[in-house]
Amino acid sequence: MDHNTYIPKLAKIIEIKEEVSGARAIKTFRTQFLEDNGFSHRSGQCAMLSVFGKGEAMISISSSPLEKDYLQFSILKMGRVTSALHETQVGDIIGIRGPYGNSFPIDKWKGKNLIFIGGGIGLAPLWSVLNTALGKKQDFGNLSLFYGARTSKDVVFKQELEELKNKMTVHLSIDVEEPDWKEYVGFVPLNILDKKPSPKNSITITCGPPIMIKFVIQNLQALGFKDEQIYTTVENKMKCGIGKCGRCNIGMHYVCKDGPVYSWAELKNLPQEY
Amino acid sequence: MVNVEDLRKEAKRILKEGKVKYVIGYERGQNGLMPKPAFIKDPEDVDRLIWNPTCVHNLTKFLVDEKKRKAGEKKPDERPVGIVVKGCDSRAIIVLLQEKYINREDVHILGISCEQTGVIDEKKLANKLKGKKAENIELDEKGNFVISVQGGTIKVPAEELLAERCLECRANYPVVYDLLLGDKTKKKVEEPFKSLEKMESLSEKERWAFWTEQLAKCIRCYACRSVCPMCYCDECVVDTINFAVTADTTASEKAGKIKWVEKSPVPSENFVYHMVRAMHLAGRCIDCGECERVCPLDIPLRFLNKKLEKEAKELFGYDAGFDPDEPSLVSSFKDEDPEDFIR
Amino acid sequence: MDKILLKKALPQWVKKLQTYRIYAPAKDEDIWTYEAVNTPEDIDLEFLITALSPKKIIFPQREVYFEFNKDDNDNPDIKETIPEDEPTIVFGVRPCDAKALTLTDLVFGGDFEDVYYWKRRNQTILVGLACNTPPSTNCFCLSVEGSPHSKEGLDILLTDLGDKYYVESLTKNGVKLLNLAKNLFTPPKAGDKKDLQKIHAESEKKIKKQIKNLKKVPPKLKGMWDSSFWDEEAMSCLRCGICTYMCPTCHCFDINDEVHSHTPLTGKRIRTWDTCQFPDFTMHSSGHNPRPDKASRLRQRIMHKFQYFVERYQNYQCTGCGRCITNCPVGIDIIEVLDKVRDYGP
Repeated sequence: MDHNTYIPKLAKIIEIKEEVSGARAIKTFRTQFLEDNGFSHRSGQCAMLSVFGKGEAMISISSSPLEKDYLQFSILKMGRVTSALHETQVGDIIGIRGPYGNSFPIDKWKGKNLIFIGGGIGLAPLWSVLNTALGKKQDFGNLSLFYGARTSKDVVFKQELEELKNKMTVHLSIDVEEPDWKEYVGFVPLNILDKKPSPKNSITITCGPPIMIKFVIQNLQALGFKDEQIYTTVENKMKCGIGKCGRCNIGMHYVCKDGPVYSWAELKNLPQEY
Repeated sequence: MVNVEDLRKEAKRILKEGKVKYVIGYERGQNGLMPKPAFIKDPEDVDRLIWNPTCVHNLTKFLVDEKKRKAGEKKPDERPVGIVVKGCDSRAIIVLLQEKYINREDVHILGISCEQTGVIDEKKLANKLKGKKAENIELDEKGNFVISVQGGTIKVPAEELLAERCLECRANYPVVYDLLLGDKTKKKVEEPFKSLEKMESLSEKERWAFWTEQLAKCIRCYACRSVCPMCYCDECVVDTINFAVTADTTASEKAGKIKWVEKSPVPSENFVYHMVRAMHLAGRCIDCGECERVCPLDIPLRFLNKKLEKEAKELFGYDAGFDPDEPSLVSSFKDEDPEDFIR
Repeated sequence: MDKILLKKALPQWVKKLQTYRIYAPAKDEDIWTYEAVNTPEDIDLEFLITALSPKKIIFPQREVYFEFNKDDNDNPDIKETIPEDEPTIVFGVRPCDAKALTLTDLVFGGDFEDVYYWKRRNQTILVGLACNTPPSTNCFCLSVEGSPHSKEGLDILLTDLGDKYYVESLTKNGVKLLNLAKNLFTPPKAGDKKDLQKIHAESEKKIKKQIKNLKKVPPKLKGMWDSSFWDEEAMSCLRCGICTYMCPTCHCFDINDEVHSHTPLTGKRIRTWDTCQFPDFTMHSSGHNPRPDKASRLRQRIMHKFQYFVERYQNYQCTGCGRCITNCPVGIDIIEVLDKVRDYGP
């Protein structure tokens, strides 16, 4: 009982990359703990980041557990804490506690085709599981990614996505037409209908804004995907991260502890309270 | 005498004719003798409406609720709502009209005169009953409350049971209404600020000690704010986050929200909360006493608001909630306004 | 271990317990609260129900997690603030409130033990008082698997037998407190035991409020998530926090940083009670709120207590103390709501 999970461990920011600028700015942070503390996560899990004096925010860990040198977080500037994170510099110290929540059941997916579907900042939680799958590529069938953003400026991990094209099929899209855009124009759910991925021996992992997830699931079902083949993540306001403070529940599930990863087969039976 | 049947008849009529969306009134509750707010939509349900000296609630808070609900509806029903009000409650409507929070046509007012009495104080009643269960309470001709209890009745002079505010009431019948039930004779109140005397006789040090002790009890359930019809702001200074967030609200705006009050229920923060509330009610509070009634820890909040009511009266000759056409106290300046208050 | 303690000997017993911090009910005008006892003679167990339950001693409304500051190099430093060693006794705990702590135990235990809660919990001994007559007109403990003389969660149960207490020590800690004043306690006579049983049996009959067939409620709730029932029931709700803040079983909280100085930075990370009845409880930073109105928040309170908690911890999250009914400014009555739920629909 001597472990006090509410106490964050100090970590140094070793790299900051500006992914998207403007009103909906996104930055990617890499951090290293000041002291080794046995922190070890699985893809899909989150961590509670602290900016002392501002508070805490639950952020999904976007680096793969295979990456041992740092933890990576891609953060959309949204409120008090994320704005403070955006103001930090390389070398600054923040607090991290966790990891919290369940994870993608990647061991159950061996031998299957994995289709990653992301929108906006939703690529961050996918990035960890995607890289884990890439790292063990021989364990899986085909790997592919659908990713969309509002405009080309809102696309995160631009360089990494270009490199990714050499390793797997990548379908990019933006919501409205732009002069130099050569790939799909339209919402992510429509891009899926356009490319018609096969449900055969496949698993889809979807992450993005709630409205996108809703239509992605509808369209996947139209293409013949079963509820058990569709995985997504849920987001709610969180404070404790350990199923005690009582605010992130959907039905009897605490998203912080029992989520954030759900198959549609599980999620469709829970109240729509997210 | 107020005949509740007249109230039911009128409620039935306006519901049947579709003049109002629903009628807000009082009905029997489960918690002893105390009634609860009723929302009557079906004209056949009007018999649920009651009127007696236990009808303490100021129902005008539900007009604020209705306005907020309507703002969220795509095609709101624009008809008014019917509402049962006492004299004090009607003054709250006047303030809401004055501040243009609601319009006169939003509300169909079923006014009831408290005549020469008022409503009872639940705690005073409980002390009189000493554990007995009251089944009914009525006023007799001699000005006594007659309480029916198991195996008999208890007779108590009205002033021993009346809510403190009723003893100092300056609006014993509604000042605005579409229908008025009961007598329209002004009740004589010799000393409308008598309850303040004891507090005012204390030294500054004693008052500080008193309020430190009282406000230390506050658990910040915000019931005083929640029940108050004047506390209608979308976002309150004590809220930790912005409520009025739209798609255009930037992260910087949200991050820049000043925390005026911490959530910790410690004396400094509790003081700020209650002082801010009291100040925001200066010249607006109509002394319905609801804040004090609902406080689960019995903090005597009415003192704060009553004192400011007195200041408004003595410094500016201002009485909140009597004249809808008069500009509100803090939005008006008169040549004869004293200036020394600011020094 | 059963004993008899003369009522007039209670202060003498308390005097023997002076290495402990002692709380007991005290009256402040019209309400009872648990206050620290300075003079043992002041202990008055002729009390009704306290405004707040002893939860406030184990899970105080404000808890400091840690203090933080930044050193000259702008590096943060954290100082954990675990509650001090302060062995505590609470006198006059009502059985419903003691049972409530066994429910918050479930929440603060489990996979991630809450260090702050357990530090206080493990150093607190609960001396209960059976309710010979219901301390509130809104008591309904019998309906939620409790009783006015329940021993659950208590270390000692006292039952008033007129001029003496029947003392049942239920745990090691309870026995320890009795052993600190051995000469004050005498073995019960056969008649005492009989009186005890009679009083306990009668006390159950005196509880007037009840929820019939509560077992039917949790499965019923499952199908009522989308029902307009909640809009109707919540019409009069004012959105205050009384029902949850007065509840002995509600455990929800908030965590915030309180800054005392910006340069150099010093401050505290603080836990405070929070409630599902406030709109900011679930509102996302984006402005999206999964529980946008008071109907969804009333639904959450009822479903949490009578469905989710049952599914998660196999207990109702309610001990029938009646505080939410007594204190609701607009007379929302959880018994009435549950009755309606049970009888709702086909």
